[in-house]
Amino acid sequence: MREWEEGRKDREESRKRLLESLAMSIGNIGRGWKIYRRSLLAVLGLVMVLSVSLVAIFADEIAVQHPYRNLTDTEDKWSNNPDQQESPPFSEECSLRAQKITTNPNSPLFSETVVAESGNKVRESIALGYYTDVLSVTEIIKIESISPPGYDQDMSLITVDPNNSSIFVLSPELYGNSSYYAGVWITYLYENDEMSHWWMPEGYDTCIFGTNKEGHDVFSKVVYGARVSLTIGITVATLTVTIGTIVGSISGYYGGRVDEVIMRICDVFFAIPGLILAMAFVAAMRSVSSLTLPVWLGVLLPVLMLAYFLNAHLSTTILSGDNKVSDQAMGMLMKNRSLLVSVLAFLFFVGWLPAIAWSDFFGVSHSRGWRLTSSLVVIALLAAIILADRKFVQKNSMDGALERLSSSFDWTNPWRYLNFRTVVVFLSMAILFKLSGNEGSEIILIKDFDKLWQVQFALIFTGWPGYARLIRGQVLYVKEMAFVEAAKSVGAPPSRIMFRHILPNAWAPLLVAFTLDIGGTILSASGLSFLGLGAAPYTAEWGLMISESRVAFQRAPHMMLYPGLAIAITVLGFNLLGDGIRDVVDPKNRR
Amino acid sequence: MSEKPLIEIRGMRKWFPIKEGMLSSVRSYVRAVDGVDLVINRGETLGVVGESGCGKTTLGRVLMGLIPITDGSVTYSGSDIRDIPNKEIRRKMQIVFQDPGGSMNPRISVRSIVGEPLQVNGISEGVELTRKVEELLESVGLKAEHMTRFPHEFSGGQKQRIALARALSLDPEFILLDEPTSALDVSVQAQVLNLLEQIQKERGLTFVFISHDLAVVRHISDRIAVMYLGKIVELADSDEIYRNPLHAYTKALISAIPSPDPDARSDQPPVEGDVPSPVDPPPGCAFGHRLQHPDWEKSTKMDLSLKEVSPGHWVQPCPCCTDEFDEDRDLPDWVRGE
Amino acid sequence: MKLHEFVVRRLLLLIPVMIGVAVFTFAVAQIIPGDPAALQCGDKCGLIVGYTEEGEPITAHQANRERLKLDDPVSIQFERYITDLVNGDWGESQKNGRPVLDIIKTSAPVTLEMAFFSLMIAYPLGIFLGIISAVRQDRMFDHVSRFFAIAFVSLPIFWFAMLLQLYFATGPEVGGICDPIFGTEGGCFPIFDRHDQSYTYPIEGYHWFYPEAGTGFHLVDSWFVTDAKLAELPSEFDTNRELFMDTLTHLVLPCSALGIASSGSLLRYMRASLLEVLHEDYVRTARAKGLSEFRVVVVHACRNAMVPIVTILGFSIGGAIGGAVLTESVFGIHGMGTVAVLGILQLEYQIVMGVTLLTSVIFLLSNLIVDIAYAIVDPRVRLE
Repeated sequence: MREWEEGRKDREESRKRLLESLAMSIGNIGRGWKIYRRSLLAVLGLVMVLSVSLVAIFADEIAVQHPYRNLTDTEDKWSNNPDQQESPPFSEECSLRAQKITTNPNSPLFSETVVAESGNKVRESIALGYYTDVLSVTEIIKIESISPPGYDQDMSLITVDPNNSSIFVLSPELYGNSSYYAGVWITYLYENDEMSHWWMPEGYDTCIFGTNKEGHDVFSKVVYGARVSLTIGITVATLTVTIGTIVGSISGYYGGRVDEVIMRICDVFFAIPGLILAMAFVAAMRSVSSLTLPVWLGVLLPVLMLAYFLNAHLSTTILSGDNKVSDQAMGMLMKNRSLLVSVLAFLFFVGWLPAIAWSDFFGVSHSRGWRLTSSLVVIALLAAIILADRKFVQKNSMDGALERLSSSFDWTNPWRYLNFRTVVVFLSMAILFKLSGNEGSEIILIKDFDKLWQVQFALIFTGWPGYARLIRGQVLYVKEMAFVEAAKSVGAPPSRIMFRHILPNAWAPLLVAFTLDIGGTILSASGLSFLGLGAAPYTAEWGLMISESRVAFQRAPHMMLYPGLAIAITVLGFNLLGDGIRDVVDPKNRR
Repeated sequence: MSEKPLIEIRGMRKWFPIKEGMLSSVRSYVRAVDGVDLVINRGETLGVVGESGCGKTTLGRVLMGLIPITDGSVTYSGSDIRDIPNKEIRRKMQIVFQDPGGSMNPRISVRSIVGEPLQVNGISEGVELTRKVEELLESVGLKAEHMTRFPHEFSGGQKQRIALARALSLDPEFILLDEPTSALDVSVQAQVLNLLEQIQKERGLTFVFISHDLAVVRHISDRIAVMYLGKIVELADSDEIYRNPLHAYTKALISAIPSPDPDARSDQPPVEGDVPSPVDPPPGCAFGHRLQHPDWEKSTKMDLSLKEVSPGHWVQPCPCCTDEFDEDRDLPDWVRGE
Repeated sequence: MKLHEFVVRRLLLLIPVMIGVAVFTFAVAQIIPGDPAALQCGDKCGLIVGYTEEGEPITAHQANRERLKLDDPVSIQFERYITDLVNGDWGESQKNGRPVLDIIKTSAPVTLEMAFFSLMIAYPLGIFLGIISAVRQDRMFDHVSRFFAIAFVSLPIFWFAMLLQLYFATGPEVGGICDPIFGTEGGCFPIFDRHDQSYTYPIEGYHWFYPEAGTGFHLVDSWFVTDAKLAELPSEFDTNRELFMDTLTHLVLPCSALGIASSGSLLRYMRASLLEVLHEDYVRTARAKGLSEFRVVVVHACRNAMVPIVTILGFSIGGAIGGAVLTESVFGIHGMGTVAVLGILQLEYQIVMGVTLLTSVIFLLSNLIVDIAYAIVDPRVRLE
């Protein structure tokens, strides 16, 4: 074991390399930006995307009305506003209110002065009941009798208190006259603080996009809709890229039968038009109310990751000789015996052991330590099986293994471990540790699998084959390049070839597709919502808002105009951004 | 030169299956290498010449163990290459590729490219790696400060030097040079060839030099094997093969070398026809078939394995292409007189 | 390889994909919540409809489960599903008992008609603008048309369709722009439906309008409608020509919405393809021969640039069917998309299965036809 001081030079060296690669990435970004800003449209797209993102982030500050959450993860509820319905933008109707006034002096509700107050509004949670706001009256429009209905009355019957604009004063004429005893409707304009914007000019500052059928401020809903749409777009695109990359690189790298099966599955997905496929998936997920995983299945991913990296490390250090040339050339682990061994080991250790250790088997509730130990045992056993396979079946030497193992860890140079592999290992360990504190036999991924989640999952299910095919093509293309063969010829292991040589050279088209796909996903999600298969009613989702506006779109077109414009701008922004990135990563434009 | 050869190839075959769609089973094969016997001695340079598609690159890949052999065997200093652990082979046998740019990952620095063999084999890390890479770069005539640059910043010749440095990093005994100069300008070719010779002398390396350019091969090789359609048709010392080519294909190759002297142009007409497809090669002497030689029929019934005509000079004993054992046949004067 | 061999092999290759689609639709139908048997009997599920031999009462719900054979193992249900599919029995609607195949027979031609005409708009428009864009590369027209191409791709099609409705199918008081310009009343085009609004026709409507033995394509059937039938129709249709014009004008807005939206991507394809071709040597040769620029572009370059455009025709058809779902919903047209949406909303999984299956068949077949046509037309394609 070296002393800390002895590793000083190595530390410096590694740090220098890290800084160099950092400088290089910064340089690359700078160069990319130079190419990017050549196109005016691309810059415009970036501005659009940034502004939509800013709107989404600061929705709470920008919007004037706010939704409340009803114990859901993604969906918002909006309380109905009975006063302003379908009022066009900037119109007087936006601050119009009709209030019923009791005029019968014998009624217990009667008072000579009446407070101008809003209709019933729902509190943060329905359980907390309703509340009303006190309004500040600016002008009384008309006074109507209730019985007989619809007759305009003298405006002087009710006046606003000169000291307090929120108080109506009833003239004795009104409550002295028995013909008014049924009460009157007073229609008045008030200062609608709730829908007014400080940054708009006087007179144009109220409900700038109008209100919808439920009386929600369309502007606020459009602003909050940015949040919903961007979340959907980015979540779906990220997950589809991840799944597609994993599946596609397996398919492209290993080829053969694996590739054949995966590509046939993709063909089936491609054979059904995307929207119809997504609709079918949404329907199929109707009854799922929360997304859970059995504990053993949730543990599987981190355990496999750790075992994989441990195995890769062990087989490059412990074994003096790698597997034989012919075996390696025959196609890695995926063939014959190795495959069988892995499947058996997988079923036995990864499936069965944690299931016992992690669930309350024999009615015993296990401690965190017990669970973690059992996971470590599984990882060690998995690695041991593969090592034993190498040693006894493939007859690799293990002489001096321990010595090599101890010398392979260089504790004196932490910089060396600043790489992707370490991140994955630590992430896996963190997940494992987090899960070990989990009570019960299921891991709850999404507690409330509401309709928006259903839409997102439907789009993920329909989206991954496209990426799988794209990444497969890229991997096949890069795999044939001479530098991959060169890496093989110096004995680089498959994981290194994949992560260091193939993927870094294959991801450029993926970035473009990712950006374009965010836009595409937003379009599809809004389309599903439009058809009534997406967001729950009254959610601030642009497609749904358009759908809800259909009943009155000839009467009040503003209800559909602005959400649609918002979709168009957002999607256009992402499409322009994607086009700009395409120019940047296009090898023709390098230098 | 030691008694025991470094590499011995016996009856090497490499057939690539052609798939005819997903449901049908394999119907036919590309016979890239179809029965090659070859001995490579320690410290020598063996040139392998042939036109594109003749299987010389495949021969090299199989020889290196990069792709599995279909039939036959490759023996490396006494043991079958399939029995030697991969890591050991990689330390002893290295390869330099044809396209110097393509054989380097454009996203990693020269230090990582040259140091990768050392890294993946767990030989050195950190400062030590940097020092070794420095040494290697200097030994191929590059500077230490080139280490932090990226492949695209170099010229073709420099890239090939980097590739050579990578091949040398594990201190191998044997290097396969797969057309290392054909992507380079003529002026740079000579530099690289000289560097190769110098390094071979310094380190006592064994080379197999694959090329389609007979002139280049002759410059560097001790012996030359001429390949045609997956088979070796002639094998001899490089001077001997020039002075005394026996196979018609070798003659055609030699006469195809442009001569600087306009008066000494070859009378031999250029070879007609295309190289037959290796998917379904004609039986017997493939070159005779291409020439539509009247004696071709005869060759289909003969054993065409190489015969030693004179010491160290082997040739395919084919009635249509070889003027069999006839030492006095007419050769163009320019060939004789060099 | 001979052409017929190629066709047969491509057809054979379709079989695994079709089986995959069938498995997929079956799986979805299994997962979709809701008990079809309960759906069928509604609130009368508890009704006792008979007794077993042991005297146990059988409720309507149980009888339905029995009849639909829902208690069989999944494998047997799947087997039955496939045999029924092949035999032409695609199940029936659980709400009104109409055979799915019958529903599809009336709705599919409507969608196909729409998809066809939208492509008739999209292709000429996209190709024409693409050519101009490529020829005037990096000039103002190019920038503008590229921007619009991306913008059209980015538009939510249902919103675009509604805008068209708003501006071209309403009077000026709502926002229509037609009336003052063309002197029409209530917009240039009908706003809704496949036929005149004066007659609403839910499910039986089609048969009400057209003969039973019709093709299902409204345009065709309206042209060949019999005089006797015509007499039954509203008085405004005196001749079949008027009826035909009515069905045609109802197509304009939905097809424009679909067509313009998909012309954007075609423009980009055409522009890229033509730009590539314009840099080829043979185009330079044609210029060098002294041909006029028009001839060079149209005769020499475009013919080759069109080839990749034709190959995406198959995908365009798939895209048009997908887009038709939304457009049909906006315009209230009873095509496959509407049927599918209603099927999903009402959990009629037999209908969902049928529509999914049929759309994929259409998509696969159109791709096949395009490929074959491509192989015949383009000498460079080797039949492999």
